[in-house]
Parts: sequence; C-alpha cells; structure tokens
Amino acid sequence: MEYVLRLLLSPAAFAIGFLWPLAVQVLQRAELMTPGPSVWLVGALIVLPFTLMAHFRGSWIWLR
Amino acid sequence: MATVALSVDNIDQLSDSQLDLLERQIAGKFMRVVPWSAVVWGLLNCVLFFALFPLVLFDAISEWVAFPIATLCIMLAYLPSHEAQHNIIAARGAPLRWLNELVGHVSPLPLAFSYRALRATHMQHHAHTNDPELDPDYDIHEAPERGYFLTYLKQLQPSSKRNDAYGVCLQRIGQPELIFEQALFEIAYLLVLFTMAWTGYAIEAALLWWLPRMIGLYHTFYYLAREPHTPAEKQGRYADTRAFRSRFGNVVSAGMQYHIVHHLYPKIPLRLTPQAYRELRPLLVRRGCDLGDL
Repeated sequence: MEYVLRLLLSPAAFAIGFLWPLAVQVLQRAELMTPGPSVWLVGALIVLPFTLMAHFRGSWIWLR
Repeated sequence: MATVALSVDNIDQLSDSQLDLLERQIAGKFMRVVPWSAVVWGLLNCVLFFALFPLVLFDAISEWVAFPIATLCIMLAYLPSHEAQHNIIAARGAPLRWLNELVGHVSPLPLAFSYRALRATHMQHHAHTNDPELDPDYDIHEAPERGYFLTYLKQLQPSSKRNDAYGVCLQRIGQPELIFEQALFEIAYLLVLFTMAWTGYAIEAALLWWLPRMIGLYHTFYYLAREPHTPAEKQGRYADTRAFRSRFGNVVSAGMQYHIVHHLYPKIPLRLTPQAYRELRPLLVRRGCDLGDL
C-alpha cells in the first residue's frame, strides 16, 4: 500500500498523469501544433527534462 | 491597602495577577459566540468551488472566468476550518457539534487537506509556536520577507522538508493514521487532475485547481503562518506572535493583522479579533508584545 501511495505521489506520476497531457493541450490550444503523434512527442520532450530534474534532484525548477 | 479597580485606565498600578484577570475578563466578552458567518462562508465557498468544474466542463462559463474565482475560493478555504479546529462553532458535546465538524471537514476540501490532520498539526503549532523542532509550521515562520516567494517555490519542490513537516509531527504525536488520511486527500486531488488531463481537459484542470491551489497556498502560508510569527526567534505567550499592519488591509491579509489575539485566546472568532485587539491593546503594550504600528 505504501509503495502504491509513494508511486502515485511521485514526480513521474505527476508528469505522466498531468504535465504531459497539459503540455500537449497547450501546444494544440495555442495552435503551435496540430493533433497527432508528433504533438505527443514534443509534449514529452518538453516535460521530460523537468521530470528527470524532479526525480533525481528533487526540484522541478532546479532550485531547492 | 487601597483596592485598585481592574481597568485599563489604571493599568500601570495592576499586579501581574490582576493583569491576567483583566485580560481574561476582556477576552471573555468575545468568546462563546457562534460565528455564523464562518459557517456560511465555509460551506458556500466549498460548494462554489466544486460547482465551477461542471460549469466549465459544460461550457456554461469560460475557464478564464473560473480561474480567478477558483483562486479566491482556495484562498478563503482554510479559515472556516480553522474556527472549527478550535471548536469555536460548537464545543465537544454541544448540540451544534455536528455543524462544527461539518464545517471543519468541508471547508478545506478545495485545498485537498484533511481536517483531522490539519487540526492535529495546528494544535501542535499552538502548543509549540516558533519551536524549531516541535512547531510544524516553523519553516514558514522563519522564511525571509524579501524573497518569500522564492522560499515558497522551494517549499513546493519534491525534496522540500515542508512536504514532510506535518507527517513528522503526526508521527511524533502518535497519530500516524492521519498521515495516511492526508495522503488519500492528496491522491484524490491528483486523480481528479489526471482524469481531467487524460480526457482532454488538462488546461481546465490547471486553471480550476492546480494553479489556484498553488496561489491559494501561497496566500495561506504567507498571511496565516509567516506574517504573524516572523522572525520566529521568540517563544512564549506574549512573544511568539505579533500584530502587524498589512499593506493590503485586513481583508486581503485574512484578518491576520490581529492574529496575536487568536494565539492568546483561540476561542475568540476571527470576526471579533479586531474588536478584541482594540480593547486588549493597552494590556498587550504593558506585556511588551510586538504590535508593530497597529
């Protein structure tokens, strides 16, 4: 149970569950990209560095 | 020996015990009042906040209109629960006790906080205000004014000790079950964000809850925790909390200019703390309290 809770509260879960689709929908809403696989790839590329930073450094914005 | 009348007019002639008595007499006038405004505020604020979700999802209002409303709702979400935490609405065993607990549980839902966890940790804050080891809000109190926003950003990060502050406190006081309860509230909040995001409403989720919660918590931490207790160097009944004049007035600062009254007499409702402060002020001056220019 504790493992599941920690997983749900982890930066990776937040990135996959929220930030990735958010990045995709912002790109589409701003008409920077059209719907399709490429927008999901670009969304992932935007979110990935922040997620890695949050996971390994413990901060989404480098500062801690 | 002549008897000295208990009055603020001859405050310099009163002994410490007489000061105590006079202080309690004045404070007593403002207690045992049911804060109905906080009851209505706490319940309606929560209903309004969650009503924004269907209103936005069914295109009744724009998410950009809902964003400032949601932010305001979250900024207002804590205080009614705070009244309930101190049993101000109704004491244990009183006929309206159910209402006290209802407001306590419902009001902080937009913040995704458990009432029971908030109450347990808040009582520790009162018992150990400004104690670096025992006050669960100490890291907020000691944050510098200049750059507080930067401190807050750091406290939002996964590695921040702020994330564990309440958990450590709950473990210490022997209520680890509330850590689990608080985790469930946070997971429920996250699952709402995740579900909305993966069904095409990520921007709406960001504007309805994610960003408003970050802004609302900033306001709550700054005015309800940092400002009344900074610089967090002093402990003791008359030293751990200060009065201050907010640049943005008493409403924007959530009534916290008079928070010193709350720490001295937690049963006085928020609405009455300004009036109580004005009557208690001469005694607080005599006690050497930090009253700023208020």
